[in-house]
Amino acid sequence: MSTDRETTRIVRSWLEEGVTALPDRVLDAVLDQVPATPQRRSWWPSRRIAQMNKFLPAALAAAAVLVVAVVGYNLLPQSNTVGPPVPTAVTPSPSPAPLARGTFKANGATVELDATGGASSVTGSMTVTDESGAFTVDLECTRTTNAGLIWIGGDVTESANISYAPKGTRAAIVFKRGTPVQAVFVFQLDDPQSASCQAFFDDMIAIIGGEISEDKLDPIEGTVELGP
Amino acid sequence: MDTDLVVRAQNGDEQAFASLAVAAGDRLHAVAHRILRDTDLAEDATQQALLSMWRDLPQLRDPARFDAWSYRLLVRACYVQGRRARQWSPNLRLLPADESSGGDGLSSVVDRDQLERGFRRLSLDHRAVVVLHHYLDMPLEAVAETLGIPLGTVKSRLLHAMRGLRAALDADARPALQEASR
Repeated sequence: MSTDRETTRIVRSWLEEGVTALPDRVLDAVLDQVPATPQRRSWWPSRRIAQMNKFLPAALAAAAVLVVAVVGYNLLPQSNTVGPPVPTAVTPSPSPAPLARGTFKANGATVELDATGGASSVTGSMTVTDESGAFTVDLECTRTTNAGLIWIGGDVTESANISYAPKGTRAAIVFKRGTPVQAVFVFQLDDPQSASCQAFFDDMIAIIGGEISEDKLDPIEGTVELGP
Repeated sequence: MDTDLVVRAQNGDEQAFASLAVAAGDRLHAVAHRILRDTDLAEDATQQALLSMWRDLPQLRDPARFDAWSYRLLVRACYVQGRRARQWSPNLRLLPADESSGGDGLSSVVDRDQLERGFRRLSLDHRAVVVLHHYLDMPLEAVAETLGIPLGTVKSRLLHAMRGLRAALDADARPALQEASR
């Protein structure tokens, strides 16, 4: 009977055998397609600005993230919510207020969006379809930033899109009001997932270094009804 | 990996991307081939991963993590190819026989055949963990990060996979032992 160590040695040796070189024709085929393949530049605009977590002990990094989140929260003005004003009376609303609704094209993808609610909670979903496949985001939270950008986000719960929105990815669509409305998608691709939907916004805004710049937003085609 | 090349490719420099693709092509293909155990599928997966790489490079926030990110794209492409293979061609082709020559650590051709069969019985999830850890020498934490799964899941998949491979090898050893005891 093989020992574990012997099995590992045999498996490692076996894996060393076999093909390594990629045939030139495959590489040529890729490079031939590159000029006709647009990059998804506008889907996620930002390169990481600071990589401090990588170099600091985990505890310190966690503390830093916490500070960012707390400071960010405390600095948020009252207007940093989206949707209808929260009533001071305790009478519950009979139906959730519309937050964003419509079918439109953004960044080359078709979006079906139906979000209701406000700052405290959001319900609804967003389905995005492009040539990489469709994915659906179960919407959970929203925020309006100082610059008036409306973030609506949640978790990808269904996905046929393996490139940038696999199941479990946190994702958001960010709108800027105007004519036309502009939008950009944000994904938490290669970081540990944030603890909550609002923390996802905090982390992304911290990574971006503040507001998403104008040149990262693309005008949508179609209509989206944004709440007050 | 030259992060300057990555940044230039992120900004749409096709020449920089070509250099990246040339540098990464062999290692990606080697991994794909070991996960899928099929030449055509591995080439398709590598091609798909390289194109995804070009398309989604602007979304890579840390150019220094290019290698890990590229493996993530590759493994996803392998899953897609593996699913297609199961859907359209249930019987994967065996590797050409001449690819199994040499190898100091393998005691016999029979071992290779047993390993090949044992490995093919594993799911792609399990194969990916074995290849990333035992072929690329990736620490388990890095495997977890690359695949986007918890560390515990990586450990469990590796344990299950190695148990399966060990059973495959032992299944070969058993008749020989019985033969020797007669």
